[in-house]
Amino acid sequence: MTTTPFRTGFREALGAPALAMGATFLAFGAAVAEAGLSLPWALLSSGAVYGMAGQLVLLGVATGPGGAVLPAVAAATAANARFLPMSVAIAPLLGRGMLRWLALPFIAITPWAAAMRRLPGLRESARPRWFLGFALASWTAALAATTVGHLLAPVLPTALRAALLFTNPLYFALLLAADLGRPGVRGAVIGGALAAPLALWLGPAWGLLAAGLVGGTGAFLVGRR
Amino acid sequence: MSSADLALVLTVLAGLLLRAAGLALGGALRPDHPFIAWANAVSVATLSAFVVLSIAAPGGLLATVPWPARMAGVAAGAAGWRLFRGGLLPALLAGLAGLLAAWTVS
Repeated sequence: MTTTPFRTGFREALGAPALAMGATFLAFGAAVAEAGLSLPWALLSSGAVYGMAGQLVLLGVATGPGGAVLPAVAAATAANARFLPMSVAIAPLLGRGMLRWLALPFIAITPWAAAMRRLPGLRESARPRWFLGFALASWTAALAATTVGHLLAPVLPTALRAALLFTNPLYFALLLAADLGRPGVRGAVIGGALAAPLALWLGPAWGLLAAGLVGGTGAFLVGRR
Repeated sequence: MSSADLALVLTVLAGLLLRAAGLALGGALRPDHPFIAWANAVSVATLSAFVVLSIAAPGGLLATVPWPARMAGVAAGAAGWRLFRGGLLPALLAGLAGLLAAWTVS
């Protein structure tokens, strides 16, 4: 059987990336059930917002006291504002064809981080297909895990859900550590780590965006000197 | 439609708009354009800040994991990474096992 770029990407997602995403989305599905919202709400959030920081902020603000719509949307969008620079950065690797636009809804941190490491080593025509395979596998894993989490919420101990949530930062910590040797990455990793305390000051909605902007811009400027 | 439903639909649309604007902008520039390098640096820095905050000063449910258990998880993950020569999946499982073991002991 010939291995196509799509199949290769799909297969490569079904390891640590799917585990990291699955664990986090399972905990999210359970949190949605606890908040009294339906499974379709949880699935639409996981499948179409598809950015955990924004999903958690939205869940907290929309179901909290008051539940005002516009503040919830503004806070969740700010928490996921990284979609913009991430899409800018990956666009040249996805080529100029129509397949690039099929990738649009799947641009999220896990497929993005894997693609930024993997795509430069592939021939140009294979890149969007690899990305779509990887993205579809991780997206499917996210939806399946959300469903399981929502259904199992009554029997999932809180401690286990908390431990599952840790899988995601641990996965990205390992990925960033592995990428420290790549050009342009080390400075941005250090910049982001140094700017992280800004998020404690500004709160979860705007804080991550501010830390990324300050740390990333600082690393970019230092790298150009 | 409840306010939670409306907020969800609007957040989905805003996310799609951000992604579309990024793809349009990034696709119109040459790959070595400084703006692409800047966007990449901001994305990596955001991810790095997320990792640091999640481990050192998490919020929500993650904050219920005691910090020694979080540190043990990171240390076990790093040890797994070295032991399994960069294998992400075994390193991740080692990290989770380390976290759960330290949490149980404490």
